[in-house]
Amino acid sequence: MKNVTKFGKDMIGVWLLATASICVALLINQLRDHPLPLVYASKTQRMETAVSKVAPVVAPVLATMDHPQIISLEEFRDLVENKKAIVLDARPEIFHRLGHVPGAISLPREDFENVYAKYKGLLESYRDQAIAVYCSGSNCEDSDMVANGLVKLGCHRVLVFKGGWDQWSGAKLPQEGQ
Amino acid sequence: MKKVLSNRWFILVLRPILGAVFIYAGIVKTQSPQSFADNIAGFQLLPNEVINLLALSLPVFEIIVGVMLIIGLQLRIVSMSVLILSIVFALALGSALTRGLNVDCGCFGDGKPTVFKMWMSLGRDVLLGIAALIIWRLYSFISNPRPVESEALGDASGV
Repeated sequence: MKNVTKFGKDMIGVWLLATASICVALLINQLRDHPLPLVYASKTQRMETAVSKVAPVVAPVLATMDHPQIISLEEFRDLVENKKAIVLDARPEIFHRLGHVPGAISLPREDFENVYAKYKGLLESYRDQAIAVYCSGSNCEDSDMVANGLVKLGCHRVLVFKGGWDQWSGAKLPQEGQ
Repeated sequence: MKKVLSNRWFILVLRPILGAVFIYAGIVKTQSPQSFADNIAGFQLLPNEVINLLALSLPVFEIIVGVMLIIGLQLRIVSMSVLILSIVFALALGSALTRGLNVDCGCFGDGKPTVFKMWMSLGRDVLLGIAALIIWRLYSFISNPRPVESEALGDASGV
């Protein structure tokens, strides 16, 4: 009986600890530069919001939208080496700094709206030319999401290198970065 | 075996290790709450209204629990918290494995999700749960844990 009481007291303690954690977490969140909203939005939903913020009117583009094309390592390598396309790195910026495909510009999926604004002029001038996007590897969705975002913003020839950084670095191809 | 598990020195070593694991796990998650929220969403168990709140609170909870484990504060409550966390984590991972989901638990930051890693995480959660249970059991059967620890230290130093 005594142990049951102890157990009950412990459970109340756990509940109090959890409540205190929630309060502290919400307070810390408010102090962040970009507080996390209380309701979760999926990666796709966040990307759509970012695209709509960059270009609020995308409906006419959607009607004639091209789909991103998947390219192989050989095709991607040809684009990079012969500078036939603008290359975008959709991974978080820190990974880009650590190492990236030569000439690649960092356009992280998570910070799309801010970084896109920085390269808006360049990307808009490439609307009818090849834009190749990659992320970490075949498991990551970032390149697909960024590519779809670019298509919605009116880019006509968006290419996705699904092998990503894993395949590029695994093939011991040239790298830039730290 | 029973003697080893109830050995006070064993508990004195186990506590800071467990505490350090939870502090590390909490700090890693606080770096990118959005990534952790994505990891939680990957389990497809919780509604969107709960995911971000959990992604924000769980790391804070882990850090508090870790610190309390190390300094030896309210050890029964803290070890019970670790036990509950481990059970919840293990159930979530087990559920994802049975549904054939390939998810990253986000326990110690981001990583590429593989089924092998999920089984490893499940095993780790079971071990953490066992460690928490050992601590909880010991501190449940002693009314005042502090003197016991002093006694353990005293015994060892020959006092």
